[in-house]
Amino acid sequence: MSLAKTYRAPFARAGVVALRGLDLTVPRGRTFGLLGPNGAGKTTLVKLLLAIAFPTSGRASVLGRPPGDVRAKERIGYLPENHRYPAHLTGEQLLHHFGRLSGLRGGERSRRVETLLRRVRMEEWRSVRVHKYSKGMMQRLGMAQAILNEPDLLILDEPTDGVDPIGRREIRDLLLEQRERGATIFLNSHLLSEVERLCDRVAILKEGVLLREGLVSDLTRPRSAWQIDLRPAAPGVLDAVLSSVPDLRPAAAGLELSGDVPALNRAIDALRSRGLEIVSVLPRRDSLEEVFVRVLEEGEPQ
Amino acid sequence: MRFAAILLDTGRELLYRRTIIVYFGIVTLVLLFFLLALRTDVAGGVIASLSVAGMQGSTSPHGFRLGDDPDVAGMGGLTAETFVRYVQLGVAFLLFPLAILMSVFATASLVPRMLEKGAIDLLLSKPVTRPALLLSRYAGGLLTASLNLLYLTCGLAAILGLKTGVWNGGFVLSGLLMSLFFACLFAFMVLVGVLLRSTTVSIMITAALFFVSLLVRLPHANRDWPLLITSRVARLLAQATVETLYHALPQSYDFVRSTMTLIRHDGGVAWGSVLGSVASGAVALAAAVVYFSRKDY
Repeated sequence: MSLAKTYRAPFARAGVVALRGLDLTVPRGRTFGLLGPNGAGKTTLVKLLLAIAFPTSGRASVLGRPPGDVRAKERIGYLPENHRYPAHLTGEQLLHHFGRLSGLRGGERSRRVETLLRRVRMEEWRSVRVHKYSKGMMQRLGMAQAILNEPDLLILDEPTDGVDPIGRREIRDLLLEQRERGATIFLNSHLLSEVERLCDRVAILKEGVLLREGLVSDLTRPRSAWQIDLRPAAPGVLDAVLSSVPDLRPAAAGLELSGDVPALNRAIDALRSRGLEIVSVLPRRDSLEEVFVRVLEEGEPQ
Repeated sequence: MRFAAILLDTGRELLYRRTIIVYFGIVTLVLLFFLLALRTDVAGGVIASLSVAGMQGSTSPHGFRLGDDPDVAGMGGLTAETFVRYVQLGVAFLLFPLAILMSVFATASLVPRMLEKGAIDLLLSKPVTRPALLLSRYAGGLLTASLNLLYLTCGLAAILGLKTGVWNGGFVLSGLLMSLFFACLFAFMVLVGVLLRSTTVSIMITAALFFVSLLVRLPHANRDWPLLITSRVARLLAQATVETLYHALPQSYDFVRSTMTLIRHDGGVAWGSVLGSVASGAVALAAAVVYFSRKDY
């Protein structure tokens, strides 16, 4: 049911609107990406799903139960943005602490802690207090605590924030393992390339409004455009072709043609007739980043 | 198991903050002093001789003194029971306020730190209800502070009992009573921590509540004081303020008086005040739980 949240603010009488009537369903077993600029309401939505904050109106359901339900939370793993772990704990103690809070019992908890410390390459640092960890180590440990209870739903808020490329790849691999295990992943990230690689569905939020939602493959589907790569040609030859084929224009890599398949064939004929050598012809597909920017610029819900 | 996990974590955090360890160290030094330095010779319930760190003790009309004095000798018929009670009163007078102070300093950060952004999000995502989370944190702080108080009182009662043969259970009970007093004070500290999320402000407000509770006891005990105020409205307002504060806050003076009574075995504990303080602490804790349960983080 349409979920809305307005935070009370001392100097804003009407409050600060974070979410305006959001309707969204995340299918089980999917990897879902939540996109949006700063202040779009992404973190607020995550907080409402975990009962860290309460909606002003509307209702949410997580794993078939209301947010905050203890039995549902037993099946959820969460990595918050800018998480702050207790400075007095070592990495190993931290995993045991959150394992106990998640209801994991002695032997099983120890086994999983050992496995995950190895998996996130934190074995050597297990007895060091977490306040001495680097940002990347904190994120890896954070991932370990999030998947410690082998959750059915994994909610991640900017999991690769501040992590170097190698660390990002490790986190991505961990997420892929979770996806293969059958977990539903709810990913909130600014890194659109990460989202594009991992997620099969995305939603784009702006100022608390859902602008787009759908399969990544649908949002980035090929449009009627083509990218044509050529071998270098003699000066003036290419200009002659460009002036004769109206929809053909130079692009960052080779040429770009707008039009259907007959138009493509006409362009190829024109290029070949002037002795130009074609290396490749690829259907043009928008990246998620391009879709994101376009949707935000349009600013209207679909 | 989840309750135990939060208790364990709270204990670890308090140990990490060192304040409790400093207090534990002070108490250990006091106990070691009595264990190693005090020598007594008791005959028929009367102290025949006493030495502290090798210095002979003696009594005179001017009081108790240590060291050689040619004019005065002997303990003047001081009974072991009187001696033990005086020592325990002295320790209670010096160390109980220190214990409360140290406990306040050590535990004041427990709730504000738990509520820090990034920490509370993660805790609230775990399968623990909000009341259970806050109450376990409260219980962890209270347990640590109480164990320290009981370490002092049980340790000293045992050492003096072994050295003099006098076992004063009242001293141990006084430790329990001080723990109860801390429980009331800590409940207010938790409420302030939940409302304002600041360790410093929690300590300041707790100190202010403690002094206000002592201050309002004076006009509460002297019923005629409002006659000093000529305006009827102002008099009623002042009276209402004093009585409200007296009953709403932990009744510190009555707690201190009751601990002394327990150690000396003279008179009864002010149960009305003790129960009133427990009730005010319970209301403060309940208010903290209700607010915490409804707050957005």
